Amino acid sequence: MDLISQIISLTFLAQVLRLFTPYFLGANAANFSERSGVVNIAIEGFMIISAMGYALFTIFSGSAVVGFFSAILVGILFSLLFSLFVIKLKINQIVAGVGFNLLMAGLVKFLIIFLFQSSSNTPRFDSLPNIYFLENIPFIGKVLSDYIILFSFALIFISNFVLFKTKFGLRLRSVGENPEAGESLGIKVRLYKLYGVIICGFLASLGGIWLASNQNSFSDGMIAGRGYIAIAAMIIGKWKPVNIFVACIMFAFFEALEISLQISGTFIPSQIVQMLPYLITILVLIGFIGKTKPPAADGIPY
Amino acid sequence: MNIIEFKNITKKFGNLTANDNVTFSIKKNSVHCIVGENGAGKSTLMKILFGVYRQDEGIITIKGKEADFSSPLDAIDCRIGMLHQHFMLIEDFTVLENVILGSEITRNIKLDFDKSEKILNEYIEKYNLDLSLDKKISELSISEQQKVEILKLLYRNSDIIIFDEPTAVLSPIEVIEFFKIIYQFKIEGKTIILITHKLNEVKEISEYVSVLRRGKLVYETDAENLDIKILSKEIVGDVDVKNDSGNYEYEGEPGVLAELKNINLKKNKLNVLNNFDIKLKKGEIYGICGVEGNGQNEVIDILYGLNKNFTGDLNIHTKKISLVPDDRIKKGMIKEFSVGENIIIKKKNLKSVNSKSILKAANDVIIKYDVRLPEVNAPMESLSGGNQQKVIIAREVELDNDLLIFSHPTRGVDIAASSFIHSMILEQKKKGKAILLVSSDLDEILKLSDRFGVINKGCIVAEFEKNQFNLQDETEKTILLESIGKLMIGITGEQKN
Repeated sequence: MDLISQIISLTFLAQVLRLFTPYFLGANAANFSERSGVVNIAIEGFMIISAMGYALFTIFSGSAVVGFFSAILVGILFSLLFSLFVIKLKINQIVAGVGFNLLMAGLVKFLIIFLFQSSSNTPRFDSLPNIYFLENIPFIGKVLSDYIILFSFALIFISNFVLFKTKFGLRLRSVGENPEAGESLGIKVRLYKLYGVIICGFLASLGGIWLASNQNSFSDGMIAGRGYIAIAAMIIGKWKPVNIFVACIMFAFFEALEISLQISGTFIPSQIVQMLPYLITILVLIGFIGKTKPPAADGIPY
Repeated sequence: MNIIEFKNITKKFGNLTANDNVTFSIKKNSVHCIVGENGAGKSTLMKILFGVYRQDEGIITIKGKEADFSSPLDAIDCRIGMLHQHFMLIEDFTVLENVILGSEITRNIKLDFDKSEKILNEYIEKYNLDLSLDKKISELSISEQQKVEILKLLYRNSDIIIFDEPTAVLSPIEVIEFFKIIYQFKIEGKTIILITHKLNEVKEISEYVSVLRRGKLVYETDAENLDIKILSKEIVGDVDVKNDSGNYEYEGEPGVLAELKNINLKKNKLNVLNNFDIKLKKGEIYGICGVEGNGQNEVIDILYGLNKNFTGDLNIHTKKISLVPDDRIKKGMIKEFSVGENIIIKKKNLKSVNSKSILKAANDVIIKYDVRLPEVNAPMESLSGGNQQKVIIAREVELDNDLLIFSHPTRGVDIAASSFIHSMILEQKKKGKAILLVSSDLDEILKLSDRFGVINKGCIVAEFEKNQFNLQDETEKTILLESIGKLMIGITGEQKN
């Protein structure tokens, strides 16, 4: 009974939305890349490096806003580097992605030790500013006043509009589906792939920044596989923004449930409870994977 | 007035000279056919015109100006359009999205779907294209997809249109519809260039004909002086076109090898086969002719054991069945594999697979069936269509199975290879194999079959015996062809009233 009343509370809702945000940003990041035909499993790495970027620039400049814009820049720069490998040099996209993820994980660890002489985390730093007049609403004020959370909600509509209602989206999707056909009509295939990967870098870095900003500290392993869950959410959402939204909410719900279960203390061993979101991922993937269809030329270098 | 002039065009790919000093011109507002065998250099020449390739030597002038295209975009700017043999469509996009892609109409930042829809619907009506704009390409038949390609050309205002073997994928009735579109183009003042190797089409539609053979322009004529016999001789050159006058009758014991009775099959709740009946006998070729998508593929799947969700009686007295599928690239071969690998992959009781056995398998077929290829280990995709098909048929025939299924065996294959393939099929009949021939090419059905059935909406609507269709009298023949044509599209006597 206690648990049920906890779940239907506003605090629980706020928790779900907070967990939802990085997933949804990551999943949209992956979607823009895949819609242009680039499989990008480096979302995790992009999130790690931009979270680190936010930490470093906020600490050294003393301003969260400077940290924010610098971290976005870091994310975009790394996505350009990724583009160099997969679009220009046509390296296998999975290999490049795995390489990026491993590189980023190692790089941030090195930076923490090198700059802060700590084995696992940075000193504390400021959060991003909030919309102050919304902050005092009870329970969900913290969520409503958060620019990035609000943006990720708007992203449902933005993604949908950009992908399906604009010239840019049509062309972006065409290079992910059949680049030869696109090229025969004069579309600059590699340029659109580059756009896709840059947007991906931008959105993924927002996710990373948000996580760092909320924890007020960067710790090693803090992204904790969210980049991969985001990719799973994109697949379950069949590369469509609205469905991706539903998938991300689902993951966030189960993760919030896991936290609630741990706090309330049940007879179920905590390890099993911690498995819950991932178990659900696997179950949902088993149930849905047969029916999902990626962009036809996804992952094929051009 | 000449709208296009080719002057001394030469194009080489490595050692191969695809176009050798080709000079000719195309008149404005004419229908100009370019004919020749596979590999004669027709497509290369047209791709040069369209800016896909650049010539090594020579000049092309278009509307009096020298054309110097570095990509197809320059050609599109010059209002040249090309309908490729393999469609350039995006399966998951709607018709509308496919057509506007690259030349979108926008209002502010939004795509203006309403306005583009209006423009396109006007074209659809004017040319009688019968397309709905919001369907996805994956839902369309091949001929509808071709219409989408035509719509793309119209939307871009092309006034010189190159068609690369447009009728290879069409059924006889669709060809007639396609020709109507071409006539309409001519009335509009457009110039049409048609690459083909179907001579009856050349006779029907062309005003001027140019023949390419091994990269050289060997013959030119206009409609008045067109003689199919001379034309076919010029296309093939000195090579003998094998004549089928030989005796291919089977003299062994007759017998029914497979029988399908009252077969019904549903797909997505629709009946794709309706009380389908056929009998396949030893030493006999049974032809199924019909417009594509009337259940032919489903019949093949059932016979070959790929589909078991049917009701009715299926009696096959053999487990040794060979299949030459309709789509040779997707279903008939692994295009990245070599000839030898593609052959050996289907061999049973093979002790070991090594480079030696693969080479032997390849050489056996290459010599016996006169397959031409760049080198013995080249991937299948580097062979011409006719040679790919020879390899596939050779593989299936060499398995020495009892029942052979041929689906569109000569689609997109040139004259010499076609007649070779036809004699391969007839050889098998003589050996006593039961053969099912599925084709939308009526000439092929009439030439090879001992009996044939016309399929419409998953049902054999009429069956003909050899003595019924092996006619000498031209008028009787025309009447027969007309009635078969009507059966194929489902017009029966009763519906006429």
